[in-house]
Amino acid sequence: MNSEPVVGLVVTGIGTVDADGFDFRTALGRHGYKYLPAASQYFLAAAKRALAQAGPDALEAVGPEQRGAAVGTNSAAVALHHRMDRTVTETGAGDLSPVTAPYFSINLFGSRLATEHDLKGFNLTLTSPRVAGLEALQTGQRALASGRARRLLAGATEEALPEGEPGAGLSEAGAVALVLEPEPAARSRGAAALGRVGVRSFFLPPKAAASAEGAEHAAALLRDALDALGHRPDRPLAVTAVLDGSPVGAAMAAALDEKALGGRALGGRALVGQPERVPAGAGALEPVARVAAALGAPEGHPHAVVTAAAEGNAAVCLITPGARLDAPAGADASAVAEAPAIPEAPAGADASAGSEQPMSGRRRGSDR
Amino acid sequence: MDDVLVTGLGALSPLGAGVDAFWRGMHKADTAPTRVPDPLARMDHPLMYLVPEADVPDGPEEQDGLPLGRGSRFALAAAREAVADAGLTVVPGPGERPEAGGPDPRRVAVALSSGMGDTDLHEGWWTGEAPASGRWAPPFPLASVVGGWFGAQGVNTCVSNACAASGYALSVGADLIRSGEADVVIAGGAEAYSRVALACFNRLGAIDPERCRPFAVERRGTVFGEGAAVLVLESAAHARARGVRTVYGRLAGTGWSCDAYHATAPEPSGEQIERAMREALREAGAEAESGGESGSGGLGFVIPHGTGTALNDVVESRVLDALTPGTPLYSVKALIGHTGGAAGAFAALAAGLVLHHRTLPPNVPVGEPDPECAVPLPSGSAPMTGAYGLVNAYAFGGNNISLVFGEAAA
Repeated sequence: MNSEPVVGLVVTGIGTVDADGFDFRTALGRHGYKYLPAASQYFLAAAKRALAQAGPDALEAVGPEQRGAAVGTNSAAVALHHRMDRTVTETGAGDLSPVTAPYFSINLFGSRLATEHDLKGFNLTLTSPRVAGLEALQTGQRALASGRARRLLAGATEEALPEGEPGAGLSEAGAVALVLEPEPAARSRGAAALGRVGVRSFFLPPKAAASAEGAEHAAALLRDALDALGHRPDRPLAVTAVLDGSPVGAAMAAALDEKALGGRALGGRALVGQPERVPAGAGALEPVARVAAALGAPEGHPHAVVTAAAEGNAAVCLITPGARLDAPAGADASAVAEAPAIPEAPAGADASAGSEQPMSGRRRGSDR
Repeated sequence: MDDVLVTGLGALSPLGAGVDAFWRGMHKADTAPTRVPDPLARMDHPLMYLVPEADVPDGPEEQDGLPLGRGSRFALAAAREAVADAGLTVVPGPGERPEAGGPDPRRVAVALSSGMGDTDLHEGWWTGEAPASGRWAPPFPLASVVGGWFGAQGVNTCVSNACAASGYALSVGADLIRSGEADVVIAGGAEAYSRVALACFNRLGAIDPERCRPFAVERRGTVFGEGAAVLVLESAAHARARGVRTVYGRLAGTGWSCDAYHATAPEPSGEQIERAMREALREAGAEAESGGESGSGGLGFVIPHGTGTALNDVVESRVLDALTPGTPLYSVKALIGHTGGAAGAFAALAAGLVLHHRTLPPNVPVGEPDPECAVPLPSGSAPMTGAYGLVNAYAFGGNNISLVFGEAAA
């Protein structure tokens, strides 16, 4: 591997982009972005904002081969593919734009990020239904724990589905990006730790979900996931559930419902109020957006974002917001035991830096 | 650290259904692309290496209410074979009696990748076929479909790093075993004809009008192929405990890198592909001081990325010539074309078979070698004397991965 395994990651930058009112010229610059598909623009802008908050040296503290990225998406390419297919079937492939033609490949939506920020460790694109964004955090962090890099940019991006496409009414459009780095590294450069995030994903087979024991199955899997994330059962946990109305979504919702499981929801873990229910969209963005929002919550309250897809994919993200982090989230127990003590972030660390700082590490200013 | 073993193989390819058909096809070394049977494929070179019509699964049309495209059906077919080959039994459904000795479903993961997923399904809807329902159909449900069929409850992921995708799926699968998150991973990739993908490669001028001719002086681009290749990865401890029948090899080393250079072109110096190769060889213990050691006990063969595109083949050849001089190459792409997101898995499948049979099949004749590509591509079958095989998979966006497979322990 490239380096010693990295444990004890903290989030030091968050960037969010909503497609409504988005203008790439304002968010990214007037030149070099015009012909990028929207979901690529969104993710670049979200990353720019996250890096601005993390500070100009968040990535540059390590070499290019120590920087990795992971993006999750389900629907980034669907609208573009739809337009391309219409061109091919109506007038032929010769009328496709050579600039956008490479974007038939879903991993291109995150690739510009690598060239702009010189990310040579790895650049992953994950596409699992609905959980892909959380998987980007999970797989990216696992890669750092394996020594494949020491800094991580991870998040999700989506573009609205074309009109008439099944699920178009549930379209998502926008992006979220997080910067993660080892806590000692953040401390040494005076950056504020916004919190920790840890993800465990699993699979609830739709047939099992639809059975009479579906909620019990879901609760058992959720309990396993929270145990693996190091969450102590006696610690109050706020829950946001991004779910649809499928049998899988219904089983997961019931697993979070004390009444449905006769007080055995999540194995008797203490919940802070009722779980917040958020309707799931046709993409992987909303769960990551909820993670970003939870990182902005008052320090100390752990928060779980739970999501699942009708296809069976499910994930839970445990968020421990704030700089005083006495219960690391997301690392396996063995890794947590090796993690360095977490001191308070230095006073004066600017967690609210503006989003208009120059893009760091940018090598090229135009499309090639 | 527990070894990651390959205990099951499955394939559906242009050579037909099944791993035996694939191995026979490797020795026959006689294939050619055909015109895609799509009247709407308005492009200069609508060529592909297709799964024979007689071997295309006739279903299922849907699973648990989700409509399935060609990619998901391919993945299911290959996964069924790999799971059966590994001697694993599908997890009983609700109300069914569990079989003694079956794997813990919470520790069975699925990592199946694709570059285009079930996009063919959506292309059908865009050209007049009516969706069966209004349910959102995510384009990349392949791993979910296999997980739902098997009843696996562990991590279920689709890495879509384009033409390196299934190489990453295998590596992520190995990481899941090594991190203790899974005992068994159903891993690999699937790719099916997509009109959009083939049209875009035509538009980019990257399709060879004759055939896929990696490292040949007259190569003019690549030719896509389709199919699915699935490997069952398993921790050595788990495999020992259940007394597996066959171990094809070990996934002994992996190396990741990213060029961070260009959307479609490889970085000309090959610095990052070399780094990935070195890392994989080092992790496997297969490196020598000056590079991969060839011959007995060392590196026995390389299955390159080699697509038939001009620059890729030159850059990869230069690095291989420096790092693994004289080591014979076997080109899967010359045989079945460039299977995109499944290419890494097909290369891994071939590596597993070569290690298992200890024979390197003949390369498909592709014409005069390019003098700029100084790599040996033997035209005859030969005994495989080394203990390791190196697999490379590269992709748009500069995503690189190298995998080293080792022979099964005696």
